[in-house]
Amino acid sequence: MDIQNTQSQMRKGVLEFCILSIIQQGEVYPSDIVEKMKKANLHILEGTLYPLLTRLKNAGLLNYRWVESISGPPRKYFVMTEEGNAAFEVLLKTWNEMADAVHHLTIQNSTTAFNTIETVA
Amino acid sequence: MNKVININFQGRILPIEDLAYETLKQYIESLRSYFANEEGRDEIINDIECRIAELCEDLLKKGIVCIAVVDIDLIIASIGRPADFEAQDGFEQSTASGTNNTKESRQQNTNNTSAPINGSRQKRLYRDEQNKVLGGVCSGIANYFNIDPLVVRILWFFLIGVNILGYLILWIAVPSSSVKEVGGVRKRLFRDLDNKIIGGVAGGLSKYFGIQVWIIRILFLIPFIRFVLNYRDMQLFQFWDAPDFPNFLDITFSPGAVFVYIVLWLVLPEAKTSADKLEMVGEKVDLNSIKNTIQNDMEGFTKRAQSWGSELYHKKNRNVVANNEAAQTEIKEEASNRSKENKKGIIYYLGRIITLCIKGIVYFILAIVGISLVAALFGIGAAATALLPLRKFLLEDGAQTWSVIGAILLFVWVPIIGIVTAIIRKIAGFKKANIWVRSSFWALWIVGWVMLFYFGSSLGNSFSRHNVPIEQSIILTNPKIDFLEITATPKMKYYENHWFEITPFEGYYDDDTVFVRNLRIRIVPSKTDSFQVKVVKLSNGETIQHANELANKINFNLTQQDSLVYLDKGIGINKIDKFRNQHVIMTIAVPIGKRIKVSNKGWTQTNLNINGRGIRMGTIDRIASDEDWYDEWNEPWDNESYQFERGVEYKMTSTGLEKIKRASDEDIDQPENLIDTENPTEMQKELQELKQERLKLQNEREKAAKKTGNIILEDPNATNKVNKAASKFADLHWVLDRFTY
Repeated sequence: MDIQNTQSQMRKGVLEFCILSIIQQGEVYPSDIVEKMKKANLHILEGTLYPLLTRLKNAGLLNYRWVESISGPPRKYFVMTEEGNAAFEVLLKTWNEMADAVHHLTIQNSTTAFNTIETVA
Repeated sequence: MNKVININFQGRILPIEDLAYETLKQYIESLRSYFANEEGRDEIINDIECRIAELCEDLLKKGIVCIAVVDIDLIIASIGRPADFEAQDGFEQSTASGTNNTKESRQQNTNNTSAPINGSRQKRLYRDEQNKVLGGVCSGIANYFNIDPLVVRILWFFLIGVNILGYLILWIAVPSSSVKEVGGVRKRLFRDLDNKIIGGVAGGLSKYFGIQVWIIRILFLIPFIRFVLNYRDMQLFQFWDAPDFPNFLDITFSPGAVFVYIVLWLVLPEAKTSADKLEMVGEKVDLNSIKNTIQNDMEGFTKRAQSWGSELYHKKNRNVVANNEAAQTEIKEEASNRSKENKKGIIYYLGRIITLCIKGIVYFILAIVGISLVAALFGIGAAATALLPLRKFLLEDGAQTWSVIGAILLFVWVPIIGIVTAIIRKIAGFKKANIWVRSSFWALWIVGWVMLFYFGSSLGNSFSRHNVPIEQSIILTNPKIDFLEITATPKMKYYENHWFEITPFEGYYDDDTVFVRNLRIRIVPSKTDSFQVKVVKLSNGETIQHANELANKINFNLTQQDSLVYLDKGIGINKIDKFRNQHVIMTIAVPIGKRIKVSNKGWTQTNLNINGRGIRMGTIDRIASDEDWYDEWNEPWDNESYQFERGVEYKMTSTGLEKIKRASDEDIDQPENLIDTENPTEMQKELQELKQERLKLQNEREKAAKKTGNIILEDPNATNKVNKAASKFADLHWVLDRFTY
């Protein structure tokens, strides 16, 4: 079994959810998202982010508006749509359920698992 | 010092280094192909470009004059490469130094340059689809090592030669940069340490391709086996010659293959962890996927080649076969040019020079061949045309004449005109002659061939029959003389036509008659003690009867005056009877002890075939019948005849003609070593002595005759004595000759 692959799969799973949650907290533009994720110790490449945002936008979960800036080209600021909010709620519930389940399964193994779940949730 | 250009990037002007621009461009292209199937690709690309532009603006604002390669690299690192996208789906490992915030100082960032570019995993070898000439193998290798693809191509060329086999292998095996499956275990090329003999290269290769190890080992060993078997010293240097000669089998299996092994040994990573080992085996390389990949690549290449080919097509000089090769070389050169985005470096011009050299050599060879052909034809044509006035002497009127005229015109002159005009057209750049003109030239030439054949056969027919030879004796006025000299009629003006030596026609002519000096002289010993001359007249003709008639008409006479025999100026050929190889063989029988000399006035060597020894042949009785008429020609004339010198006296002895040392004054070409420089005075003395002896003997004889009256004229003793003395004299002379010759 390939550890790295599994790790990657795990991260991939929560990626969309994390992004939605960031946007849900307020209007952001992509670099901001990267910044915030970095602060949360979840590093993402912009090259991955952009297609993801576009996909979500095409799926109707996000919307954007152009904001002119004095320095640099106009930026896209992303906001949640109604559908996006709804999706976020669903995903949040899923996550909580899953976190719970995993927590239960791993509580006997170590205390660090316990801690991680606490911070995210 | 780097070139800086301004680009219009997302609506703003960016000063950027040329190289950095290239990097950026490639990056965006790679993104483009990565997102090829993505819905909303353009938007994504646009977003990313905006981000890049933003980052660049920030840099410029900080006071940097222009965007350099390092900056671009950092930007690309922060955004990520397509390889990284799918590898961990966008997540960097936290161990690597994370995304670079461009708001940090550049100094800090340069320390982290290498890591972000690598991503989290080790750098992988893939084929670069964006930057490819054939299959992107070299580009891929170049990307892996961070060198210029051109360098890799050159190295490939020199190290491995035009090694199509190796290239094909890599083309199949190395994945393309555009084909990225998300997830899944990719197959990687490792060195198999568990299965190694030297470095595990063969093991790794075998695992990768799924071939048995021993096959690969044998492939590597073939050059050495071959070397041993052939034992050719040159083979060691063979791979240096690789660029000249794309014999890929030769090169693949040359000791240069060792280099491949070494390169792979250095390059390939060892399969240490179990993960590595799994990857090493990995998925099997699917035949279908191979086929598809190659098909697509080949189609792409064909299309590109076609487009460049049609470009070159519009250039001049495309018809020669060599041009195709040159054009292909040119296409290749253009290809590498395009892939470098029109960077016309030295390599481009070098390629052009090589192409021009090849073209030049081929043209040169063609020109030489063409010129020699034309010259040969011209020579034939000129000769034939010059001979035209003589045609009446050779050819029947009517069909023969017309056919030969036609043959000359059409067979010889038409191609000359055609070739010359074609060359002029080509040089002056005129259009090629239209199809009718060209085909009519060809048609006329073919008719010329036909005429030539007709002429040849018809003429052969005229000469086909041989007359029945009759030997006639010519009565000499004074056959018992001691010495005979054959010479030509005096006071003749001879017109020597040396321009071409076609023997039957060499002669001179007044208006109706051509005199042909076809004479052969045979000198044989006489059975009596007097000179005899016999003459055989020979001729060819269409029928035997005609030949006989012609032979009879030959007018060959001798005039004798004392010891000189004058030959006629030649055999007269007139227009009615025509030349049918009339010739005369004159046999002169020389009694033993008598002398003969053929002067070289007038009749040149080519006409007189003289049989020097004359011992083996009797009089001519060999020309018996038609079938045997070859014998006359095949008699061993020439073995001896060249030894017979003109203007030199010969004496007939019992063993053949012997040269007498004295050479006549009037003759020009003297035999070289008549007078020996060794002891000339001694020889003279001996000669004098002998002469005196002879005189003495003669005197004795006379005395004896006087004494005993006239009876003793026939005294055998005396005669014998005289004879003995004479023969002694002759023998001594013979000995002297031997020493002095």
